[in-house]
Amino acid sequence: MHNAKPIIVLVDDSDAMRTLFEQVAREADFELHAYASAEASLTFLDSNRPNLLVINVMMPNKDGYSLLKQLRANPLHQDTPTVMISSKDYAQDRVAARELGVLEFVAKPISKKALRSLIAHYVDGGGAPRN
Amino acid sequence: MSEAYLRFWGVRGSYAAPHETHLGVGGNTSCVELRAGDHLLVCDGGTGIISLGEELVQADELHEMLVVFTHYHWDHICGLPFFQPAFSPDWRIEFFGPGDTAADIERRLSDQMKAPYFPVETETWMADINYVEPHDDGMRHGPFEIRHFNVHHPGVTYGYRVRIADKTVVYVSDNEVQFLKTSIAKRIHEFEEDEHELLERMVSEQRSAELAAIENVDILIHDAQYTPHDYSKKRGWGHSCYVDTVNLAIDAGVGCLYLYHHDPTYNDDQVAAIHRDCLQIIAERKSSMECHIAREGLKVRL
Repeated sequence: MHNAKPIIVLVDDSDAMRTLFEQVAREADFELHAYASAEASLTFLDSNRPNLLVINVMMPNKDGYSLLKQLRANPLHQDTPTVMISSKDYAQDRVAARELGVLEFVAKPISKKALRSLIAHYVDGGGAPRN
Repeated sequence: MSEAYLRFWGVRGSYAAPHETHLGVGGNTSCVELRAGDHLLVCDGGTGIISLGEELVQADELHEMLVVFTHYHWDHICGLPFFQPAFSPDWRIEFFGPGDTAADIERRLSDQMKAPYFPVETETWMADINYVEPHDDGMRHGPFEIRHFNVHHPGVTYGYRVRIADKTVVYVSDNEVQFLKTSIAKRIHEFEEDEHELLERMVSEQRSAELAAIENVDILIHDAQYTPHDYSKKRGWGHSCYVDTVNLAIDAGVGCLYLYHHDPTYNDDQVAAIHRDCLQIIAERKSSMECHIAREGLKVRL
């Protein structure tokens, strides 16, 4: 029988952030697909709906907002659970993210403990927005 | 190609400051003209663009231009409703800025002229107006090669890297440098000891990205809005402390830095004091970088 682990997709140009997610993925029961750019993530996301999508806001070329707008236009991702993460911590960015239907806007840095809690809430618990 | 130069038409951040005590530096908000022969590139449409427009119409020499916007905060667009070339059928004007489509750019620029904010809408513009469809491969406008990149400011905000006459000019009007570094410093207690190496990598990555955008450029026009004292109260407003700006420029090997987006509450003496401190930092770091105050009306040959 197919053992369907939850899938988390991370799109972040920060190598350190991808490492952080990989470290947490190794100790938790989910499958991580980590991409360094919006463009690189699209091949997978065009036809796959993850259990949680985590998108960085500021990236070279296509930024996180543009990526999410593009994905939301795809019926597959109209309500894909999404968290935005950013080194920016401005109210206007929180509003922009909320308008795209994200569950939560996380200001970097994020600790392993906070990341585990976020995943437990949204992936394992299917939780509602916390903020 | 005949003479290439840049000229500052607006150097203030946030709002215009037309006070007698400020006019040595200038009171208008963001606008920089880059000219190469018959080709004209304008960065931002703050109140400075109004005087530029008046001069262009009076001179009646050029009839085409590209105007690029870093973002749509009002100090960067509020001169546009008074920009004479837009109201003249003699002109062809292209506009570009953050947005997913040309229609996005048009909506963001034209909304400020809708009722109840303004008496006439963009339908009254008689120029041939075009909004440039966004793409990641950069743009050409005559001899200008233009690339945009994301900077650290609320919402999506661009910096521009312009290649012209064998020189590279980078225009970054609004940018809060070193933000992640200070976020980590404030929240370090949330992290276990074994996470510190990753945090250092994040800081290093952000610094590398900040430096890469301006590395070895001939001229950098950069946000230097706050003194250290004011920045301590306004961290998170999306602007830089001049100390961070000058150190970033030195680290990046910039040839000449123009301190820009001056706080509207600072008079000429206060901006001069910021400049003196920057020169002191440059001397202490034994850097050969030039550093000047971006003053309204200042023309720099390229």
